[in-house]
Amino acid sequence: MSTALNLRKIHDYLFEIPPHGKMRVPARLYLDERSLRELLENQSSEEWNAIRQLENVACLPGIVKAALAMADVHPGYGFPIGGVAAFDPKAGGVISVAGVGFDINCGVRCLRTHLTRSDLAGKEEKLADTMYEVIPAGLGSTGELKLSPKEIDRVLREGARYAVRLGYGREEDLEYIEEHGQLSDADPSVVSHTAKQRQMAQVGTLGSGNHYVEVQVVDQIYNARAAEAFGLELGQIVIMLHTGSRALGHQIGTDYLPFLEKATRKYGIEVPDRELVCAPIESPEGQQYFRAVMAGANCAFANRQVLTHLVRQAFWKALRVPETAIETLYEVAHNTVKWEVHEVDGERRRLLVHRKGSTRAFGPGRPELPERYRAVGQPVLVGGTMGTASYILVGTEQGMRETFGTALHGAGRAKSRRQAKRQYPAERIVEQLRKQGIIVRAHGKASISEEAPGAYKDVEHVVDVMCNAGIVARVARLRPIICLKG
Amino acid sequence: MPYEYLDHEADIGLEATGTRLEEALRDGVQGLLALLVDPETVEPREAVPVQASGDDPGALYVALLNAVLAAVDLHGMFFRDFELTRLERVDDHWVVEGTLYGEPIDLERHAVEIEVKAATYGGLLAEQTDTGWRLRCVLDL
Repeated sequence: MSTALNLRKIHDYLFEIPPHGKMRVPARLYLDERSLRELLENQSSEEWNAIRQLENVACLPGIVKAALAMADVHPGYGFPIGGVAAFDPKAGGVISVAGVGFDINCGVRCLRTHLTRSDLAGKEEKLADTMYEVIPAGLGSTGELKLSPKEIDRVLREGARYAVRLGYGREEDLEYIEEHGQLSDADPSVVSHTAKQRQMAQVGTLGSGNHYVEVQVVDQIYNARAAEAFGLELGQIVIMLHTGSRALGHQIGTDYLPFLEKATRKYGIEVPDRELVCAPIESPEGQQYFRAVMAGANCAFANRQVLTHLVRQAFWKALRVPETAIETLYEVAHNTVKWEVHEVDGERRRLLVHRKGSTRAFGPGRPELPERYRAVGQPVLVGGTMGTASYILVGTEQGMRETFGTALHGAGRAKSRRQAKRQYPAERIVEQLRKQGIIVRAHGKASISEEAPGAYKDVEHVVDVMCNAGIVARVARLRPIICLKG
Repeated sequence: MPYEYLDHEADIGLEATGTRLEEALRDGVQGLLALLVDPETVEPREAVPVQASGDDPGALYVALLNAVLAAVDLHGMFFRDFELTRLERVDDHWVVEGTLYGEPIDLERHAVEIEVKAATYGGLLAEQTDTGWRLRCVLDL
């Protein structure tokens, strides 16, 4: 691919690179002048820069309309993070490991509580300590749930539903998870023994890196109707948890990378980056990978369900808050591949949508949404950083038309982990956050400095861009109080 | 430096060099181990065999790093050292075998750094240079 950028401004919040070289469709980026400039200035490597990665995605067979990047876009491997691409099986469309990532079905769940900020006053430290004690996090941690091989297969087939059956959380939680927390195409028989064995002790663990559990307060409401539908009020305490499919998902990605590389050769698919290895969706290899990913996704659903239970336990232990006072508002996933029907050029088409670090953000009326939210649209959960706000947004009709109903997933990294480590000593960050009234508990030394607020883009600006572009609309802003990291 | 970490916004690049491919592979593993946990806090008390294969040296590098990550979970151990015992080209692919030395995870004693999800084909490079071999890939953190 050429390094010179031929960026065309479509409007103040959208740039396009017309197809050139082997690109089959344009690449489109939801950015304004400032975020584009920052993206270009911050790139640490010419080779793995996000725009080139998006151009590479636009070269894949069967891609429909455009390769899209949300405002939190930054470099990943193969696909950029913040990327979206939809493929048509009838046009030779493909499925790719890089389009899903190794943390299959990584996502965010928001729990709303019956508590207000004043209910927590003076009890924050106690709650933080209890969460640290109850929720396994960080490298090397194990969950309380030790599964037999048979039970692991049920996790892979039944997802969050199986966790509820085992007593983790409640039936009502399932109503507010994408796909009700269970993907029926999952097939445990195409998941390796190693993948399952690695997971035996990891169900109900948080992980490390950018994963977290955060206690937050609603400090701004922008859309009263949607906020009412979502059950949100000013001053209310909510909890966000961010994690994925743990070692099982990582191993599925690891196993299928060489598998799909063979398929790429077999079907004569030309890929501009080796990480973009893929198989035609309808080929036996593509189908097998899809069924394995669905199993990995179910594992992530189950993991967040068990963690939800642990959050409820921590609130009970620390504050005697009953489980029923903590309800699932919604759960979104941001490393996924899904069959969805979208209208393209006036025609309804069944497409396989890859979202790599981007969130499904369906507008009003979609049958996939829980009845309670259907009239207003899907809640879109956007995680900020330890020191900045998070947002609850809502999907729009315009998003359905432009981005296959997809929006951003977080603030998006701006600085590399190594840069952040040099620049932000953990002790200083903890102290700064304490002065802002935010309590941090972390298991690993690296988690705090690498995830320091300064390592990320300005979440306010990133959210502004997506809202101004009309892809999502603001509902509520959340301010952090307690942050638990791996 | 036999291995080096490279800047990447979301993840990290791991580059290893050596006069022979064996050395570059070994040092890549050492670089990975040092990312997970401070090796100084891990005693090399127990040996765990590890093996991997790949169609070419690049795929072999990624497969070996991933086999090491799997070994951490499968054995519930952290490792300090890696000894490469066999590198061979068999028919159309490469095979590597070695031994990891470490001990069961003890979160009181081991200075945990960060979890690595996987080694990827992102930025993958395996080349022979004037001085030997250079291997590189992006790790998903």
